[in-house]
Amino acid sequence: MQIEVSRRKFLQGTVAMSVAGGSALSVTNLFASHEHESHAIAKSITTKTGEAKEVKHIPTLCEMCVNKCAAIARVEDGIVTKLDPNPMFPKSRNMLCPRGNAGIQALYDPDRLKYPMIRTGEKGEGKFKRVTWDEAFKYITEKTTKILDEEQDNRSSFLFCAGEGMAEHTFKTFYQAFGSSNWLNHASICLQTVASGYGVTIGAYPQADLENAEYIIMAGANRAEAIVTPDTMDAFKRTKGRGAKLICVDPRFTNTAAKSDKWLAIKPGTDLAFVLALTYVVLTEELYDKAYVEKYFAGFEAYKKHVVTNSYTPLWASEITGIKAKDITTIAREFMAHAPKAVYYPGRRSTFAQNDFQLRRAMAIFQGLGGGIDTKGGLIFGDKISLKGHESLIPMYDKAKSRAVTKKANHKEGEAGYDDCAVISGGGSWLGWRNRFLEGKMPYKVRGMFCYKHNPMMNMPNTAKTAKMLKAMELVVCIDTMPSDTVMYADVVLPECTYLERTDPVKTFGGVEPSIAQRNRVVDPLFETKPVNEILRGLTAQLSRPLFDITKKYDEEVQDSIADGNEEEFYKEEYDMTKIYAYDQEELNEHAVHKYHGAAEALEKHGVFYPKMDLYFKQLSVNEHQYYPEKEKSYSVGGGKPKTPSGKLECNLANLASKGIDPMPTWKDEFNFSVPQGKFRLLTGRHAQFTQSGTSNNAVLRDLMPENYIWINKREAKKQGIEFGDKVEVSSRTGSTIIRAYPTEKIAPDQVFFVHGFGEESSALTWAFKNGGNDNAVIEDVLEPVYGAAAMHETNVEIRKV
Amino acid sequence: MARYGMALDYKNCINCKACEVACKEENGVLMGADKHRIWVGVNEISGEYPLLDIVSHSFQPSQCQHCDEAPCQMVCPTNATYYDEFHVVRVDSDKCILCSYCMNACPYDARYVDDRTMTVDKCTFCSDTRLARGETTTACQNTCPTKVRTFGDLDDPESEISELLRTREHFSLKANLGTKPKLFYLT
Repeated sequence: MQIEVSRRKFLQGTVAMSVAGGSALSVTNLFASHEHESHAIAKSITTKTGEAKEVKHIPTLCEMCVNKCAAIARVEDGIVTKLDPNPMFPKSRNMLCPRGNAGIQALYDPDRLKYPMIRTGEKGEGKFKRVTWDEAFKYITEKTTKILDEEQDNRSSFLFCAGEGMAEHTFKTFYQAFGSSNWLNHASICLQTVASGYGVTIGAYPQADLENAEYIIMAGANRAEAIVTPDTMDAFKRTKGRGAKLICVDPRFTNTAAKSDKWLAIKPGTDLAFVLALTYVVLTEELYDKAYVEKYFAGFEAYKKHVVTNSYTPLWASEITGIKAKDITTIAREFMAHAPKAVYYPGRRSTFAQNDFQLRRAMAIFQGLGGGIDTKGGLIFGDKISLKGHESLIPMYDKAKSRAVTKKANHKEGEAGYDDCAVISGGGSWLGWRNRFLEGKMPYKVRGMFCYKHNPMMNMPNTAKTAKMLKAMELVVCIDTMPSDTVMYADVVLPECTYLERTDPVKTFGGVEPSIAQRNRVVDPLFETKPVNEILRGLTAQLSRPLFDITKKYDEEVQDSIADGNEEEFYKEEYDMTKIYAYDQEELNEHAVHKYHGAAEALEKHGVFYPKMDLYFKQLSVNEHQYYPEKEKSYSVGGGKPKTPSGKLECNLANLASKGIDPMPTWKDEFNFSVPQGKFRLLTGRHAQFTQSGTSNNAVLRDLMPENYIWINKREAKKQGIEFGDKVEVSSRTGSTIIRAYPTEKIAPDQVFFVHGFGEESSALTWAFKNGGNDNAVIEDVLEPVYGAAAMHETNVEIRKV
Repeated sequence: MARYGMALDYKNCINCKACEVACKEENGVLMGADKHRIWVGVNEISGEYPLLDIVSHSFQPSQCQHCDEAPCQMVCPTNATYYDEFHVVRVDSDKCILCSYCMNACPYDARYVDDRTMTVDKCTFCSDTRLARGETTTACQNTCPTKVRTFGDLDDPESEISELLRTREHFSLKANLGTKPKLFYLT
């Protein structure tokens, strides 16, 4: 028997519950999921629109993934009944994907975190007691001051980590004011190597003008399933003989492959050989844009010599990649025939292979050979509308130690500088950091962590190690919307409201058609949830002064500064954390756009602003809008000039060599793809209907895809007696997971694949709990050598029918 | 009154299913794989890895065809299925007795049972939600990332859909049955 709960009824229920307060709930069962016996999704959780008295339309920005597409919320009698695309935003151009449409279910998810909580059971067990905000802040303050006192004001004895989001910076200001050196975010498990590879080569991580490109190589990117606006919208309207030829290079036959004109089944991790061979053809046949190379390339002759003398020929690459030599030659010629309106698509994904940084360098150089940089139909830098920043607080703590890294002993020139990587970036290596912590290699003790909108238990390889790290931390504070696997390990849980319940920092979106957009609060926060800005306002009000007192005790510089009796004034000026959270987000946003006449009003009314929007924006057809007239678009901002400090495209970076990194992209035998007999290479990836683990409990999305399945080649499955829907155990040296099988010819016989983000262990998630397989329980923690990014496709697994 | 139809640039479809979610959220459609007004058909690919036939793997977005000669309407014994003022095929749930003749008669499998009312439900071109409010798009068209759908008045020679059907080659599903669908697939 399934209980039918309409959204309206559900909300009435929740309002009643919050009025009744905690009395209706037992102290240990604070998650609504425990109240349901059945795990079935109520059959009627959507609401027909147009049946209410009062209707409001509020423009906002989606947060179901990282894209930040513009939406208009239809609010009927105080309830969000529909999210429609906002046609006024140039980036998302009147579209919302399935996740964007399902955002309502994130707001009304019965499993949401509702109240501040403090752990009562063992870590990971998920037993908490409900507390007031004041009690939660008091608990954090006591624990934090105790640890800092014992560590003699080494602020770096606390780790701060955050997931991507519009308010990530709001949280980062807390980290800066706190004074720790240990900051970790999504970068090293996300696009660190692609962003940096392009960054050092052409000076920026570019966008691609897929609206005007005539030839697109999409390798290791899956825009039909890993949706990015506006790329996904632009790309697939013109493939299949309709203006843009799309070459898809992927070990799997993805939806992008299905929409492409040609699909090349490449062996995992060998894209670098493919690009080097394309480059070889272009250099030896002299197909490159000589004028562009002459003007903007640095180190061209060295690179040419490198590629030619190493004989990176199509025949050489065909052995390594599995792609026919004549296909490589043809594609190189076709690409250059269409250049500069040809794109080797940069993609944005996590690191798959150890050579990813060099792959990105090779891709950027190949793109440059066609002159397709900072130009229409190629890669573009675009223009940006500047915003005024607001004050942050970065006090000097004399006792705070630098980032917890271990430098290589007896380091020599030309070697990697650190134990686990060559370069330490702003974000640092999450895996490296975690493993150092577990192996006792930290230069000092790190004893507590603050975690915002981040799920380390699900988001990085080797879940077992992450659990061990979280257990060893003496204080784990989680700010989140959902009872994720990581929240289960928290000592204190601070519930944030969902994106539809808060106004976030206004954001500028650069590109061909630059604009500013704002996430406006659609409805008031449910339960006792708050935006992170208000959470940190409350926390710092309690925490700031006691922390200063610790500093005063140990920091001689501070003692000297207040020797003349001006302590209060000095504290307020230099160390008072509360002042960074003194303003409401709405005030801060108004300040940020103050210099643009009418911007604040436009952002409230339309969610979007750019100069002359009222003049430029118009509807062209039922599906199309104009944002800028063609002649006002920022296809080129520097006439093709790379944004590197030298103004040149850097082929040969000598300063990389001094750090132990190849100065030019170089193939090495260890990059060759091979899988031992009886094993499979595990591939992972994205999906149009889910965003990692963040959407795993969304009822409407689960309706589209109830769980993830492992792709296994049909012939291989038959050999092992595995049929569709059979449960199999996937195991590696790291661990194992159970998942159902999908035998298909869309994958090679020596590889398997499943979508990331499933198989959570938090029993507080009604629908996500133990639903499907968790890739990170299986993926080994292999570090890419440059930044220590997690290389996700380097694990071989065994499959066993269970 | 307008006579609504829909042209589908189906080659744009990436099978993301935004249309399905938008439809369910707009119209309060039940959860469940068998409870949908709109869907994307997928053919399993033919061939053996890596020699796969790209063309065999196409996505076919579909929904009620709103036939001008609708078999479902002809067989309905209680006149529950009717044409509304926009020539949209609708079901009057007060009249429906769930005899399911219409479900069998529909060559497109576009109808299902709504367990709340125990009557037959189907795509309405959002006529009782969006069109009723004076909007001119359906939820599925409006939300689509690759803009597969163009919805409009077939009787208005100036409308975009009329222009599309004049200038682009197109076909209808099971046209041989004489159902005269108002969904047109652009090639």
